[in-house]
Amino acid sequence: MTANKNGMSAGSAKSSFRQNIARNKLAYLMLLPAIILVLVLCYLPFFGIILAFKDFDIIKGIMDSPWVGFENFKAIFVQEEMILAIWNTLVYGVTILFLGFPFPIILAILFNELKNMRLKKIYQTISYMPYFLSWISIVGLIYTFFSLEGPFNSMMASIHGADYEAENILFNSKYFLPVIFFSHIWKSIGWSSVIFLAAIAGIDPTLYEAATVDGCGKFQQIIHITLPGIKATAIIVLIMNLGTLFNMNFEQVYALQNVYTQQSTETINTLIYRQGIQNGKYSMATAFGLAQGLVTIVILLTSNFFSKKFFNVGLW
Amino acid sequence: MKPTLGEKVFNIINNIFMLVMCVVMIYPFLNQLAISFNEGSDTALGGINLLPRKFTLQNYQVVFENESFSSAAFISVTRVVLVVILSTIVVFSAAYGITRKGLAYRRGITVFLMIPAYVTAGVIPTYMAYRYLGMINNYSVYIVPMLFSFYNMVIIRSFLQDLPASIEESAKIDGANDIIIMAKIAFPLSMPVVATTALWVAVGAWNDWTTTLMYVTEPDLFPLQYLMMKLIKESEVAQQMAAQATMTGKSSAFVPTSESVKAATLIVTTLPIILVYPFLQKYFIKGVTLGAVKE
Repeated sequence: MTANKNGMSAGSAKSSFRQNIARNKLAYLMLLPAIILVLVLCYLPFFGIILAFKDFDIIKGIMDSPWVGFENFKAIFVQEEMILAIWNTLVYGVTILFLGFPFPIILAILFNELKNMRLKKIYQTISYMPYFLSWISIVGLIYTFFSLEGPFNSMMASIHGADYEAENILFNSKYFLPVIFFSHIWKSIGWSSVIFLAAIAGIDPTLYEAATVDGCGKFQQIIHITLPGIKATAIIVLIMNLGTLFNMNFEQVYALQNVYTQQSTETINTLIYRQGIQNGKYSMATAFGLAQGLVTIVILLTSNFFSKKFFNVGLW
Repeated sequence: MKPTLGEKVFNIINNIFMLVMCVVMIYPFLNQLAISFNEGSDTALGGINLLPRKFTLQNYQVVFENESFSSAAFISVTRVVLVVILSTIVVFSAAYGITRKGLAYRRGITVFLMIPAYVTAGVIPTYMAYRYLGMINNYSVYIVPMLFSFYNMVIIRSFLQDLPASIEESAKIDGANDIIIMAKIAFPLSMPVVATTALWVAVGAWNDWTTTLMYVTEPDLFPLQYLMMKLIKESEVAQQMAAQATMTGKSSAFVPTSESVKAATLIVTTLPIILVYPFLQKYFIKGVTLGAVKE
């Protein structure tokens, strides 16, 4: 900020701009590839948002397609599949966000309680493994696990006895939500625990010593020291995840869908892909995506505002 | 201080819990590994757990002899190599440039580079822009969008800021310019952090299949992950691959099934990741806390 001032305060803003560029030309040159890439690949697409307000005709092109105002946005609340997609996105998002939230925290606390550092490292590394696999690899593993002759059905058969009828639950949309939820936990629990483990490591150790002297048990220490100690981190993670509430992981849903479940499990992101890129309804899909983006920003701003007000913690 | 009985019990339960968690994490992968080494017709009978029952290498033979597989492997490998080399150059020089003293527009440039990490134009506008740039059904779509990462730049930047300034100053007195100092001094000193970010980029490029889903329809350009997606989601593709192998008559007694072909493909595509991911933790864990606090 301070460096910026000498560029603006002087009346010869333009010449000092040139001077600074000339004096640091190599530094700016090093930044140039990144700037160009970001400009062209990330900022240029923003012009495409005007598609949302047009009836895009691929032959006429973006500029010559007729303006339609907010017609594409109105369609969002009329079409049944869009309403279903919004509903599904919310159901999956809320389940993962609130039901899934405690899992990595509990794991981090348990990691922290391990005394043997080498074992701790090994457990941690193994718990990260699924995070690094692509969703499609994970879904491949899931398909094998739930296949008719796979481990899940033979486990169920040994529990329920001979009259158990093998079923591939991935072909039944009734089980889609639990599959989404547990596959999400499985893939991310280890890696999500990292940030909480870092937060726990930052807690003042003398607090625990004092508590032990006062005769406080392990469990009470966790409740009264560890949990309050990671509250700020937990709130920040929660706010960041709130931002993804309307942004259900495309890869996960798309990879898990199949011909039997696809229609009833469509989410906003998968519908945008199918309507826009597969069916060529570009304008409508852009409007849908824009509405989703705006709602996400509003959620982020509001949750950040309230968290700052009530907990004194915020993203910015 | 001696642990109490309660603590001992808790420790044992905690370790048992950890072992169960580890089993849950790696069982599906080991199960897949066993299936990939088991005869397809035998796998169909069920009951394969951690070890193959009728050991065979033929599932892998089928996969490696398949033409779409070798083409996809070529795309995946070249993509990873190119993305790693080029993105390291772009990200490292950006990180080095942004840390130079006397840069008047540092703040503005940082914000400019940061915004797209949080706000994007959306799927369709991005698709339209790529089409306008001629990147649809073009190999460049695998490379160019992965070249800059704000997050990696932040990690390298914070590493560079911790380097002692005196080394560079003495080089400057010797008359070396910024680019020479970057290439000959800063870059070699930053090898540990660069190796980590490069590995992250490599994993990202290797694992990516949505780029193909969105922007590529040309089968010659399909990478391994996308081929696997087709194998998993469209069972006809796997059957076709298995049938092709039977028709060419490499082994008349052996009938590979779509399941066993799938398993072998999955192992081949995930094994590289399983081998490198333990090395990815180091700077990332630092980066998580760092990235959250500073910009």
